[in-house]
Amino acid sequence: MDLIGASTGVFAVSCTRESLSGAGTLQRERQLNQFLADVERRALRIAEIAVRDRDEALDLVQDAMIKLVNNYAGRPDAEWTPLFYRILQNGIRDWHRRQKVRNRVMVWFGRCGAGEDHYDPVAHAPDPAGRSPDEELQTGQAMEKLAGAVHALPTRQREAFMLRTFEGLDVAGTAVAMGCSEGSVKTHYSRAVHTLRDKLGEHWR
Amino acid sequence: MNEPNDNDVNEEFATQAKELFDDSVERLDAAALSRLNQGRHAAIEQLQSGHSANVWGRWVPATGIAAAALVAVMVMRGPEMDDMPAEPVTDFEILLEGESLEMFEDLEFYSWLEAADLDANGNVG
Repeated sequence: MDLIGASTGVFAVSCTRESLSGAGTLQRERQLNQFLADVERRALRIAEIAVRDRDEALDLVQDAMIKLVNNYAGRPDAEWTPLFYRILQNGIRDWHRRQKVRNRVMVWFGRCGAGEDHYDPVAHAPDPAGRSPDEELQTGQAMEKLAGAVHALPTRQREAFMLRTFEGLDVAGTAVAMGCSEGSVKTHYSRAVHTLRDKLGEHWR
Repeated sequence: MNEPNDNDVNEEFATQAKELFDDSVERLDAAALSRLNQGRHAAIEQLQSGHSANVWGRWVPATGIAAAALVAVMVMRGPEMDDMPAEPVTDFEILLEGESLEMFEDLEFYSWLEAADLDANGNVG
């Protein structure tokens, strides 16, 4: 990557793609496809918990996939995970900003967006195989409680918790994905866990 | 008997949360999986199509700059030019600075990437 050019306007172009041609392109396609296939389902659930809407979450994940391929296909594949989640988190933050504006407009026109908080992740889940309805219900309810509590966290705490716990990124990778220092990640994560423990109690599952 | 310390309790909580999350990932329905598959293929097609979107993307800033320049010229050559000596220049700069702002936002990130030695798992070595 050309970091020397970072001080100039050409940086944004020079860092986005290295030479990809012929067999190299084909191999890169396969690697990207495998990477996206590995990450897409967890990314969808993470986005879904953040925005509480599956369709919106699917759009956000697809946007993140396209941006990763367009801008970072030439990057070493070891960097794709934090880069992908950085793109996704930026998309989620933008989505929340747009929602705030939209809600203000709705309030202005006398509509308060009723019904938006009635998203039910359990209702979106399919019937599991090999589990009794009671077990399914119990697990679904526990996940619903957890998803609600995670969604209610402040943005940065939510990001830190989901990236560390759900995606399994380490502190350094989470810092890249969040665009902040490792110290900030530790602070946000610690606060998130304490808040969630307090909110959910000891017997939440 | 010793009380579990806070770190142990936090770890236990995170483990339970992770198990629940993984379970919900496993239970994603066929419709969602199908849409993810479509989205992935659409993304990969960007690579196959020789970055056609990027070719278009290269023209967008140029078009934007040209449009901004045209607006600036129109404003500066307008009938009330004498009444507003500085503001058109400020507006012009604002119109042009969107791209560079985005770039500067990411500078710290790219510097970090260069400094960090990422191993195969994306961890810092």
